[in-house]
Amino acid sequence: MGKLHRKTLETGVEGLGDSYFTESLALSTPPDDPDPLDSNLLLRELQWLLQDATGDVGRSQNPDLVPLRADLGDLYGLWRERVLERRPFQYVVGCEHWRDLVLWVGEGVLIPRPETEVVVDLVREVVIGRSGRGDGEEVWADLGTGSGAIAVGMGGVVGERGRVVATDLSEVAVKVARFNVERYALKDKVQIRQGSWFEPLEDVKGKLTGLVSNPPYIPSRNLPGLQAEVGRYEPKLALDGGESGMDHLIHLCEGSVSYLKPGGFFAFETNGDEQSEFLVDFMVSKLENSFRDVKAVADFAGIKRFVTGFRS
Amino acid sequence: MRNVINRGFASEAAFVEARTSDGLTVDGIVEQRWPILDEGEGDWKSHAAAIAQSIQIIKKRLQWKKIMVRLDVLSAELNRPDLWDDPVHAGKVSREHGGLMGKLKEVRGLEQELLEQIDMLKLAREENDEELELESMKALLLTRRSAKEKEHVALLSGDHDSCSCFIEVQAGAGGTESMDWASMVMQMYKMWAQSRDFRVTVVDEMPGEIAGIKRATLKVDGDYAFGYAKAEVGVHRLVRISPFDSAKRRHTSFAAVAVIPILDDASSHVQINESDLRIERFRSGGPGGQHANTTESAVRIVHIPTGVTATSQNERSQHMNKAMAMAVLQSRLDQLEMARQAQMNAQHTQSLTEISWGNQIRTYVLHPYRMVKDLRTNYEVSDPDSVLEGDLDGFILSFLSASLDKHGDDL
Ligand SMILES: C[S@@+](CC[C@H](N)C(=O)[O-])C[C@H]1O[C@@H](n2cnc3c(N)ncnc32)[C@H](O)[C@@H]1O
Repeated sequence: MGKLHRKTLETGVEGLGDSYFTESLALSTPPDDPDPLDSNLLLRELQWLLQDATGDVGRSQNPDLVPLRADLGDLYGLWRERVLERRPFQYVVGCEHWRDLVLWVGEGVLIPRPETEVVVDLVREVVIGRSGRGDGEEVWADLGTGSGAIAVGMGGVVGERGRVVATDLSEVAVKVARFNVERYALKDKVQIRQGSWFEPLEDVKGKLTGLVSNPPYIPSRNLPGLQAEVGRYEPKLALDGGESGMDHLIHLCEGSVSYLKPGGFFAFETNGDEQSEFLVDFMVSKLENSFRDVKAVADFAGIKRFVTGFRS
Repeated sequence: MRNVINRGFASEAAFVEARTSDGLTVDGIVEQRWPILDEGEGDWKSHAAAIAQSIQIIKKRLQWKKIMVRLDVLSAELNRPDLWDDPVHAGKVSREHGGLMGKLKEVRGLEQELLEQIDMLKLAREENDEELELESMKALLLTRRSAKEKEHVALLSGDHDSCSCFIEVQAGAGGTESMDWASMVMQMYKMWAQSRDFRVTVVDEMPGEIAGIKRATLKVDGDYAFGYAKAEVGVHRLVRISPFDSAKRRHTSFAAVAVIPILDDASSHVQINESDLRIERFRSGGPGGQHANTTESAVRIVHIPTGVTATSQNERSQHMNKAMAMAVLQSRLDQLEMARQAQMNAQHTQSLTEISWGNQIRTYVLHPYRMVKDLRTNYEVSDPDSVLEGDLDGFILSFLSASLDKHGDDL
């Protein structure tokens, strides 16, 4: 942990600017980069980096001193990695702000996306709509939980009678998800299990009140062209959806037939319009009579991002 | 307390004005026009003049003359023998009387305190008692501070004064130079807010192409943020040699400032129907989802029936940006509703201009001379740098006191 004179920090960011931060900002748009970083965004990330680095490390005795979590040299190193190596900002600071949560993330686990926040809203609406009905325990599942984002978010909205079971194949994901669950004191409400999709859920087969998933959905052939931060750093296991991108989605739709209880709710995130339309059609015509009210739901960018419905 | 005689419910206006032993009254002190210097400078006269001035402002704000007349009416009521035949009415009268008496006593107490301290000081000097003199000066200084505080509270007793607020800055026409000016104005408010220990966050900021900002929304959290900031509503004008003009010519540019209270009473909020909203991800492109890693999660909300929009882009998650944009939208719609009601109520037409973007209120000249002047109060400062670094309280307080003169010359 380092220390810095407040005066040095305030005037210093400018002062250091020449040698440190603005240099990296200037470096942020190498002329040959076909996919340059937006400098406004970088500037904001830099502010957040400093915010996180000077965050509540405990009050310092001397009001002129700002405690730092890392020394300036290390911070600079991290910032270089961000700008030159295109390491995702969230891995650099070790966390992702998602909904009203701050989740631990690191290499080996997918950084939860802003779009996915809406999955929790969809669940909340259903919970509110169901309130007053029935009185038994209600079990919700999040398959391929990654950092545990959706599971932790759901833990906050499923109500008194609800609990959440989440699965992931990846050992790292399970570790990170468990950490995030404990961080929000949801150990009694949210359980993380390691295994492939439905395998760890035998005990709740046919009993699920709801099932949600954001499975890997990028078609394999698109993997090489991904944005640097994604392609170079995020785990393939979290992205690769097979040839059409729909291998896992289709498996999940089929599994829902036997794992959801009658009236149970599902929500899947997809790659967008094409996959969502295909899935709606698939669930209505191929899995005839198994589901009702199947529809595609748009994200805030107007892309049909989710498919939702109920088990008949 | 030798001048306070308990006269029951007798006429309040007949009250004998308090005086020092040599006959000085509070109004008398004001008439002397002793210069008011900084706390650390000058002698007791400077303190006395400052306290007397605060008392005057507090009286103005209370509408002193009206209070006196009203108290006479209420006292007459209370003296009627049949008063308690109607207990509901009697209760009302005695409550109002009690409330006004409380205010009256507070001001009189302050006057009394000032005059007694002056007496004490003079006594100390006559008797060459240095210790007592020092003590009296200290007491006078403390009274000065508490009077100032009471003055501020009195100035800030408007409907929503105690609320937090949004400050919106918008660049006028004129390209990069006025966008740079708008960002200087925004910076000025950020620093002002920090100096007052308000929490300030940039909710939404639209940068100019070359420099500065096209517009920005700041959220200022803290007690009385709106009460103070509302004095800044209007157009701010800058005159300087533009650093963006290679010919080094003098330019005049404008930035408009709006201030919107964040109502803390949920029941006064305009009801917003979820179905009237269109929520968009702002500045997004591409396929999104797993394809994209970005820390950008700006959200724009459009209220379809009114066309009012709100954007938030500096929160760290989409959810928080959405919540912040909703808060901005709520305040804008609340403000719209207040304006509508004000319009219906002719008595309040004045406040209509006060809450919209308003007129030109202040000029900042950096060249050929240096000065900042408020066009409403003529308050001026010859050091623009300190003002641009957020030293705005002089402007704000002189405006707030001046608006008292306009609305309530009832002293
Ligand atoms: C796109 S990520 C989603 C992570 C997280 N739910 C989120 O929204 O941020 C997909 C997740 O599915 C997991 N996964 C991939 N194959 C799996 C399988 N066969 N069984 C369970 N989980 C799997 C990956 O490890 C990854 O965590």
